[in-house]
Amino acid sequence: MSAVPATTDRTAARLRQAARNPVVIASLIAIALVVVGQLVSPGFGSYNQIISMLRIASFLGIIAIGQTIVILSGGDGIDLSVGKVATLGAIIGARVMDGTDANLAGGILIPLVVGAAIGLVNGLGIVYLRIPPFVMTLGMLGVVQGIILAYTGGTAAGRAAPFLTELVNTRWLLGAPGVLFLWVLLIVVVTLVLRRTRPGWNLYAVGSNRTAARLSGIRVNATVIGAYVASGVCAVLAGLALLGYTESVFLNLADDYTLPSIAAVVIGGTLIAGGVGGYLGSAIGAVVLSVLQSLLTTLNMPESHRTIVNGVILLALLALYGRQRKLRS
Amino acid sequence: MSTGLDNRAAGTRAVAWIRRVQIASVVTWSLLAAVVIVNALVQPTFFTLYSITSTFATFVPLVFAAVAQAIVVIGGGLDLSIGTIVALSSVVALKVMNGSDALIGLGFLAALATGALCGLVNGILVAVVRLQPLIVTFATASVFGGVTLVVLPSPGGAVPPAMSQGFRLAFAGVPVPVWCVLAAAAIWLALSRTRFLRHVYAVGGDALAAFASLVPVVRIRALSYVVAGALAGLAAMGVLGNTGSGDPFIGADIALDSIAAVVLGGIALRGGRGGAIGAIAGAIILALVTNVLFFLNVPTTFRELASGLVIIAALALSVLTTRKAVVR
Amino acid sequence: MSLLTMTGVSKRYGGVRALDGASFELEAGEVHGLLGPNGSGKSTLNKVLAGTVNPDAATIVLDGRPVEIRGPRDAAARGIAAVYQQLSLVDSMTVGQNLVLGVEPSRAGFVSNRASAAEIDAVLERMRRGLGPGVTAGTEVSGLSPGQQQLVEIAKAVLRKPRILILDEATASLHRDQVNLVFEIVRELTAAGTCVVFTSHRLEEVRTICDRATILRTGRTVATVTVAETTESELVRVMVGDVAQPERRTATPSTDEVVLRVRNLSAPGVHGIDLDVHRGEILGLGGLQGQGQSELLLALFGATATPSGEIDVNGRRVTNSSVVRATGNGFALVPGDRGSQGLFMQRSIQENLSIVSLRRRLLAALGISMRKERTVAEDAVQRLRIKIGGLDDPVTTLSGGNAQKIVIAKWLLNEPAVVLLDDPTKGVDISAKAEIYSIIRELSSAGVAVILNSSDDVELAELCDRVVVLYEGRVRTHLVGDEITSENLVSAALLIGEGDQGTVEEQPAAADGGAR
Repeated sequence: MSAVPATTDRTAARLRQAARNPVVIASLIAIALVVVGQLVSPGFGSYNQIISMLRIASFLGIIAIGQTIVILSGGDGIDLSVGKVATLGAIIGARVMDGTDANLAGGILIPLVVGAAIGLVNGLGIVYLRIPPFVMTLGMLGVVQGIILAYTGGTAAGRAAPFLTELVNTRWLLGAPGVLFLWVLLIVVVTLVLRRTRPGWNLYAVGSNRTAARLSGIRVNATVIGAYVASGVCAVLAGLALLGYTESVFLNLADDYTLPSIAAVVIGGTLIAGGVGGYLGSAIGAVVLSVLQSLLTTLNMPESHRTIVNGVILLALLALYGRQRKLRS
Repeated sequence: MSTGLDNRAAGTRAVAWIRRVQIASVVTWSLLAAVVIVNALVQPTFFTLYSITSTFATFVPLVFAAVAQAIVVIGGGLDLSIGTIVALSSVVALKVMNGSDALIGLGFLAALATGALCGLVNGILVAVVRLQPLIVTFATASVFGGVTLVVLPSPGGAVPPAMSQGFRLAFAGVPVPVWCVLAAAAIWLALSRTRFLRHVYAVGGDALAAFASLVPVVRIRALSYVVAGALAGLAAMGVLGNTGSGDPFIGADIALDSIAAVVLGGIALRGGRGGAIGAIAGAIILALVTNVLFFLNVPTTFRELASGLVIIAALALSVLTTRKAVVR
Repeated sequence: MSLLTMTGVSKRYGGVRALDGASFELEAGEVHGLLGPNGSGKSTLNKVLAGTVNPDAATIVLDGRPVEIRGPRDAAARGIAAVYQQLSLVDSMTVGQNLVLGVEPSRAGFVSNRASAAEIDAVLERMRRGLGPGVTAGTEVSGLSPGQQQLVEIAKAVLRKPRILILDEATASLHRDQVNLVFEIVRELTAAGTCVVFTSHRLEEVRTICDRATILRTGRTVATVTVAETTESELVRVMVGDVAQPERRTATPSTDEVVLRVRNLSAPGVHGIDLDVHRGEILGLGGLQGQGQSELLLALFGATATPSGEIDVNGRRVTNSSVVRATGNGFALVPGDRGSQGLFMQRSIQENLSIVSLRRRLLAALGISMRKERTVAEDAVQRLRIKIGGLDDPVTTLSGGNAQKIVIAKWLLNEPAVVLLDDPTKGVDISAKAEIYSIIRELSSAGVAVILNSSDDVELAELCDRVVVLYEGRVRTHLVGDEITSENLVSAALLIGEGDQGTVEEQPAAADGGAR
């Protein structure tokens, strides 16, 4: 038999597989949205405009790292506290930095430790008190909100360190700000950790089948707790990036990022049931959502219609990838 | 049969009954008693008719939302969209009534229908399409919220005067808001005697066993969201009665508070256990905690942290005690 | 005329024939036993009748008319009710609510408790001797002992007034008095014209209650006998058939050196187990399924709560308090249900193979070298002759036999000293079976202690140097060398010739305290 039909067969199979790959689908949606934007409003697809949309996407993308990890860990894993934790991280960061680079290290490390601690409490409650993840993180959301009010006394103080602002707002290389390069670096690192380290493989195993994971000698509890700690840390990281963007903080700076972070993970093809997916998809999901927001804004679509469109898109994608098993006797 | 055996049987029956009343509900009622006593201590006017009317008026919507959430949770589901269903039903009813006393009845019907329709959307997505309830209702919440803004873009509009005034009246010496809470309890008590709710308990307790016993699991699941939606519609009428005008953002806290109320009321989030009377108590506890913190002169900035911690502590207590009641 | 006949019933699960043209006939008013060794298709036949399994082919004639049973609802409508060992009770509801679940009498949508109260109380009163005095319609099911729950389950089926009642291992968790009570009820039902299909691992029970019995072997009906006219040894001979004794493995020189020594091991489902596995020896676990074999392996592997007893490996005392500890102590378990316990279904073959032994090959204690992983995985695939498309394909692409080999391979990569195999060839085709046998033999010749639980008696006879037969969580019989024959295994499993069949685990009932 000649090699030619075999190769074309394989190419066709690979193409078919790619057409079903959520990462590819999400990328195509992102590109399509940019093209539509360019048609409707020329300039939408310009290089500068794209860079600026990617910059906005990076905040959501960084929050989605933690959300991806938590959802991958399975067991109905979800972190509803990420938005508030990001806000708290930014508030603490602004206070500690107080507008000077001298306090930069503390202004980054202290919020990160706080984020890790919040994640640890989430994880401990979920694993040892067996509180369902969404209740635990929902309760945490209330507590973090309380901490924010108590800590700030109702008015946020402090400013981002100039270095941080520069990182996010000043064009650096190829006309892109440093935060974009940081995000790309994070995409690479997170993907490597998930695909090429033992904790990463353990995470997939735990998310895919907890019983089999336990019977394979994997420390399931430690893996799950670790996932929530990672989520707290990533949320704070995103909060700090947002702080650099806005320079000063508001009490609800990142509150609205929770739902989009989940949506980004779903659009990226990570299974809500856990065990399947990856961060690259979520990152592209974050881009899709950001481009969609700008497009809807460009179209002068009112806020009300935008939330409807967001919800419907999330539902459609869920129906596409996320159906649960049928009840059989 | 000997009387000795009868006595013993009666004794064990009493033990079984006490076991059925579950530790969790003991926690609920103790918390409620504690909150009422503390509230009475810090607010000397607590038991006056005026004060009771206004306190009850504020939590009527949450009480109905808690009953709605209770039904969904007992059936093994969850509804994060209850808040926006309340908002959407309230603005639809507001538009339908158009400030006219004659149209109040139609308003009630509109609110009920809107709520039931939203519930039907949730029910189909969860039970028939088989999507995860948490994420589905998260997503539909944003859809319903958007539709609410389309119907009423900004706060405003006036509720028929008979409705907002009637809400502050007393009937047979008892304030109307208290009657509303009693009505919520009565609706639950009636529902809990239906075949439908019996099956909701079965599906929430063990869907496979229910399926094997020929309970129509898919239909029951979907219907539980519809009934919850209709009850959210009643909550919406409570919102209108209390505020006197429309507000598309009113539902923001209701979804989370209703879940907190359900957990405080001793309903296991795994489903199959508990009852909405507990959830009503839970809703009252939540409302009174805020009240107490206000009258204790806790600085506003610390009030939210305090109430957050109180609620977390109560949640942990409820979750832990329900677990103990289950583990044999 | 018979009430029901089933002929040509066939059902395949993947490559395995569970039923292969089985047939079965029921007379009105009789108690009909279903007998057969493990894997003969009793359960599947019951499930076809109850509508929970769709047969590939079947002719069912009920009341002289051909019918099709399309599902549980359909079966119920035709008056067929089934009680299995696993329960269909909703734990969080009361006994009364469970008894009428799905058939609640109601008026305008409201459950009328009064309408069913008399019926419920009557059936509970009938069960009173077995339930104890504390159980009323208002008792929550979660508070009942397994035996009491089983009785409630039977009561639930009886309340539905079936014409055909299937009791499939429904007496397994009952103690002797409760079984007698169930038999009384069965006799009342049959006197009123109901017929009962009865399956039990206790042969004594079959002999007590059944009028006739149909005997199945490898999915086929081999005989229908009148129980009273058949001796136990005849029954066993029909069940086992005239199979040629399998080629016994050439006796490997098993030494006196004990690799694994277990003393007085108790855990949920197993009681006071003593075991010795010598170097180069394969120890078999026999008996009917569900007599504690899987529980024993899980307890050895540190996977069940609070096991007690002593475990020594090569003379060293080990504490397998968790799976992580057991793995560190050189234990490996190929679990009984590879789908839910052994494999990460959506993950790749590569990951499934590597996951257990990853830490042996890490870079800087963290990183994974794909080159190393590929090499060991390819090596394992080749050595175990696993047929795969590519290492990156998900395990769902594999057949049962190859999937099972993946589970075995992932543990072999961790170089274990003790390998526990829980029915490794269940649902595996013939050729893969032979290959798994040779893997097991190689393991044992390499000095690994192997414990093999198998539901297939021929397999035990072919592979094992010694077999312990378990019955209700205890070791009942030891078979060594040439004593390991299908016939001996079946007799031992059914406790024939033991004389003390009555030693049945008493279930302490929570509310039994003041009874009688």
